[in-house]
Amino acid sequence: MMDIDDAILEDQILDDRRIFTGSVPKEEICAHPGFFAGMCMKCGQPADDDSAVPLKYIDKNLRIANNEMARLRDKDFKDLLCHRRKLYLVLDLDHTLLNSARLSDIKEEEEYLSSQRDALPDALKTSLFRLDRMHMMTKLRPFVHTFLEEASSMFEMYIYTMGERSYALEMAKLLDPSEKYFHSRIIAQGDCNRKYQKGLDIVLGKESAVLILDDTEAVWKEHHKDNLILMDRYHFFASSCKNLGFSYSSLSQLRIDESETEGALPTVLKILRQIHSLFFDKGRKDNLEDRDVRQVLKTVRNNVLRDCRIVFSRVFPTNFTGELHSLWRMAEQLGATCLAAVDPSVTHVVSLDSGTDKSRWAVKEKKFLVNPRWIEASNYLWKRQPEEKYYVTPAKNNRKNWPTNESHGTFER
Amino acid sequence: MFFHMVLERNMQLHPRHFGRDLRDKLVAKLMKDVEGTCSGHHGFVVAITGIDSVGKGLIRDGTGFVTFPVKYQCVVFRPFKGEVLEAVVTMVNKMGFFAEAGPVQIFVSNHLIPDDMEFQPGDIPNYTTADGSVKIQKESEVRLKIIGTRVDATEIFCIGTIKDDFLGVISDPGATS
Repeated sequence: MMDIDDAILEDQILDDRRIFTGSVPKEEICAHPGFFAGMCMKCGQPADDDSAVPLKYIDKNLRIANNEMARLRDKDFKDLLCHRRKLYLVLDLDHTLLNSARLSDIKEEEEYLSSQRDALPDALKTSLFRLDRMHMMTKLRPFVHTFLEEASSMFEMYIYTMGERSYALEMAKLLDPSEKYFHSRIIAQGDCNRKYQKGLDIVLGKESAVLILDDTEAVWKEHHKDNLILMDRYHFFASSCKNLGFSYSSLSQLRIDESETEGALPTVLKILRQIHSLFFDKGRKDNLEDRDVRQVLKTVRNNVLRDCRIVFSRVFPTNFTGELHSLWRMAEQLGATCLAAVDPSVTHVVSLDSGTDKSRWAVKEKKFLVNPRWIEASNYLWKRQPEEKYYVTPAKNNRKNWPTNESHGTFER
Repeated sequence: MFFHMVLERNMQLHPRHFGRDLRDKLVAKLMKDVEGTCSGHHGFVVAITGIDSVGKGLIRDGTGFVTFPVKYQCVVFRPFKGEVLEAVVTMVNKMGFFAEAGPVQIFVSNHLIPDDMEFQPGDIPNYTTADGSVKIQKESEVRLKIIGTRVDATEIFCIGTIKDDFLGVISDPGATS
């Protein structure tokens, strides 16, 4: 019987011979497309490359070289588009698909949530989970299961969260108990190449076919913003509102929830469906591979406030260039035309105070006078909102008009 | 490859175990400490098969712990380049698949999967031949050849290939269901 030391020695000698005499053909010219635990995944030789992209969410020891990434993306892209007629969808967890709170942060008014499952209101029985092991309570956003089911037929889906890996996996279990949707496509904090920043570089999808659903714009790298569909934040627990600095009551305190049919997820599903059908529209003459989902997204968004001509009044601070303001840009993205001064073509005056000259002009000329939330609401709901709901009050009470980020629920209620 | 060999280890024992069954305690502790671990040189210690000798104990100053040099026989497992192994597939993705042979993790990249096998995404991702007769998915058993190994202090990683004669699926969980 062979001794282990002899075996190791023999192995070593074989290795040395290979290196010194170069007697092993073709393996020597391997391009090293990727690396697993410091070995080339094609030729098995010890090798590594610092510029290779670490795919820690698949395996902590796996790195893929840049040109191999491009090759894989390309191959996958063709297969996905041509054969399966799907696009990629990257989903954020917190405030987008669900809301979690630590058990210790549960407020007194929310204690009813901790009661036995049987005692819970019907709507919560299937969507509220108590994860004692993680000391957390998680509420899935209404409609989320239908959303995933329907979206999976149009998209290959990723989870991309800034939460920890163990948390992400636990949430994936709640969202996808039969492991149909995500498989190994779950990216968590620590998997991204840069801290506190989300990038598509580790996603195996071509950027021209990726859509992102997230509630926070700032975490995405600048050039991914064209892929992003911003979501209305879901705050179910009181601590979730508090953490982000809002003082109003959460859904759990009010004992209500988003609507199953009119909430944020059903709304965005409609948009996704629309984008998908526009992208794969049979009437289009251009090559499938040359199409860009970002363009489609832009077109859809551009239709929301089309034909609106907007003038702002007392929305921006004095001496502030209006063009740079987020509301101005948002309105333009939605297809509206923003003007600096009133003229007969104006259709809407967006104001914080019904007493300004422009506001009074709007009333006199029978133009729409709305507060800035009208633009935000139209943005989140992908539809021009009825103007009467967004009336403007005199300046004394203008805190009410001011668009804080208090978006939650206000557009559905 | 498996080897049966003699290894030595210094075992520290707490004084509360000193008594009639000191030797049993020592062996039990040895098994707990050693089995399943990996040493960079020998590979994984699979099982202890016998104790050759227990040397004279040495009392440590200050703590009262006693150190015994123990010689023991054990079965170790160390993969080598060129070795053919049977492994269970744990994950399949676009890059290839991961498989496990006991404690060893093996990666088979798509470059080392026969060209006629294509990746099929879906509910259960898999690699399938064009005619659908051969399928590799999670839980499949495959025969593969090791072409690269890296032995760490506590883990062993391998690169494998199934792009060679007589390699590939040996049992298909999908076929029976």
